[in-house]
Amino acid sequence: MPAPRTGESLLRTAHQLIVEHDDIASTLELPRLASRVDVIREICRHLAPYQAGERPIGGATVIAKDLTIDSLAIMDMVMELEDSFDVSIPMNLVAEIHTVDQLADTILDLRAKR
Amino acid sequence: MDPLPSRNSNLPQRRADFATVPEILDYAAQGQTGISFYSARGELLSALAWREVRERAHVTARKLIGAGFAMGERLLVTADTWPGFFDTFFGAQYAGLIPVPVSIPVGIGGKDSYLDQLRRQLASSGAVAAVGIDDLAGFLADAAKDLPAVRLHGGKGILDALPEKAVDLRPLGPGDLCYIQFSSGSTRHPHGVQITQRALMANLAGMTGPAGLDVIPGDRAASWLPLYHDMGLIGFLMAPLICQLSIDYLTPRDFARRPMQWLNIISRNRGTISYSPSFGYDLSTRRGAAQVPADLDLSCWRRAGIGGDMIRPEVLSRFADAFEPSGFDRKAFIPSYGMAEVCLAITFSPKGAGVRTDIVDRIALGSDQAAVPAADPQDAQRARSFVLCGRVLPGHLLEVRGPDGELLADRGVGRIFVKGPSVMPGYFGEPEASREVLSDDGWLDTGDLGYWLAGEIVVTGRAKDLIIINGRNVWPQDIEWAIEARRVVKSGDVAAFSIDTGAGERVVVAVLARVSGEEARVALAREVAGAVREAIAVDCDVALVPPPTGLPMTSSGKLSRARTKANYLAGLYAVPGSPSKPVAA
Repeated sequence: MPAPRTGESLLRTAHQLIVEHDDIASTLELPRLASRVDVIREICRHLAPYQAGERPIGGATVIAKDLTIDSLAIMDMVMELEDSFDVSIPMNLVAEIHTVDQLADTILDLRAKR
Repeated sequence: MDPLPSRNSNLPQRRADFATVPEILDYAAQGQTGISFYSARGELLSALAWREVRERAHVTARKLIGAGFAMGERLLVTADTWPGFFDTFFGAQYAGLIPVPVSIPVGIGGKDSYLDQLRRQLASSGAVAAVGIDDLAGFLADAAKDLPAVRLHGGKGILDALPEKAVDLRPLGPGDLCYIQFSSGSTRHPHGVQITQRALMANLAGMTGPAGLDVIPGDRAASWLPLYHDMGLIGFLMAPLICQLSIDYLTPRDFARRPMQWLNIISRNRGTISYSPSFGYDLSTRRGAAQVPADLDLSCWRRAGIGGDMIRPEVLSRFADAFEPSGFDRKAFIPSYGMAEVCLAITFSPKGAGVRTDIVDRIALGSDQAAVPAADPQDAQRARSFVLCGRVLPGHLLEVRGPDGELLADRGVGRIFVKGPSVMPGYFGEPEASREVLSDDGWLDTGDLGYWLAGEIVVTGRAKDLIIINGRNVWPQDIEWAIEARRVVKSGDVAAFSIDTGAGERVVVAVLARVSGEEARVALAREVAGAVREAIAVDCDVALVPPPTGLPMTSSGKLSRARTKANYLAGLYAVPGSPSKPVAA
């Protein structure tokens, strides 16, 4: 469930609507309780096509730097992960993510706070 | 919650005959129209009639005045598409303050470059306050840390928490600035365009009048464009507002996520006016065309504008092919041309004519600066098509000048200059940078190249080094600096430019390869591309230049990006990991 963007009460009310109408969350195959390993595995699955050279993709992989992924594909991946794990990563947190580990931990933190 | 109406029941439409933004909002507030915010899933999140926008702005204004901010002081605001932006922007208009809308962070890992940009924008505008959505409060605090001039910063709550005092409003007047538009200049040396109330009114009158979009009662606007961009803020806030229209908003991020929502909103609310750079039409076609909802009905869309980057006729044609079955009328396309230095728009293609192209010989264009009709328009190697962007707005003048300042006739390619009431007085606090583009007699050097064709302008490219990726201005200096700052290569060892791929611009970075062995060369290229992606959030190709060859310099010893590009297109530089030489676009 995406976090309210502002202190706007209107947004907050409307925001609750989203959950009722959310067709994507209801078709989720992922377990409601995702472990860190699950999240990392899911991220690596998205990133696999962009592996550069022989170096395997892991927690320490710097997403924008170590791979051949382009910026649009990165944003697509973040959006898909948000949908899969039912979180919305605020833009300030997105801006601080560099590695696979950091992305996974951000998603887990947001899930824990729900 | 219902969408706001497209018509006011008892308020006659006044089309752009106002003197200031506060006057525009005062009038629109007497009707029932207003702004609606939609989610990525197409739900109406909130709606504010112009009356409410005005009431909220008055509250914000009284808080700002009560807090002791003086007339003319600058207020930075992150221009995400959220109600708080409207409170702050219009609040400033009624408080006599000058808003400075700025962008939000893009991409992952972009924190450092975003903070850097914020610091420079705060310093360059001399802002005394900085507000944003709550998520960005920490970034605003970081950026303002060493700037004592910034007396107040934080999320929107910081404004809401100020006491509302019983003070008189101090609305900005016709002789005042309206706001500062940061879309010009590199992030290292940002130039804030001074948008004056007077120039804005002149530009809006042209834009909404018979030579522009010719807005009529019942028109309705839809937009996903960022409000920190002139096309978003002037084109899709001010222009509909000055005609008392309703506007439906989707955030740029949500548009990128679900582009079909843009079209769904137009279809559902019977939108009539919407704009996008070519890439937005492209994204909608690529992601949406495979699953067009059966009930999508775009027959209401009478003004489908294109602006903000080079107009791609093939992209638009694919969009029209995909959505004609849903009622889209390809004659609704309106190619247009402009820049923040003239507020927004300077030419519009005639209404109802759709996209018209001129096919010219690529070689004559490059070598003779002439747009000669192509002998064989089907020959993709030789023929290149450009879009006719229409006539200059009434009351304005346009010239195409050759290298010695001589006026060029039809089909002579030169630099485009513009003069008239929409032209800015200069960049804020930057007399030198202003003099570089504005002459004493009021002519603005647009930095764009183009030619005349029977009274219409055709834009072919840029004389300046600016790169435009998906409608976003990117200065090559920022790319070069990002690479140098990460110590990937030495300072001066890198040149960035863009090439036209036909479908868009592609960034190319040429670096001196002070490494040997294919593996090290591939690694260097990857590191350069990674640094650019992380700092600027754009993708690039990397070309390796042998150190003995070096990067070309101008006679004054400055890096020549134009010659670097010419060398690259001529195949002089190696592209690591690829067996063949680069192909000229």
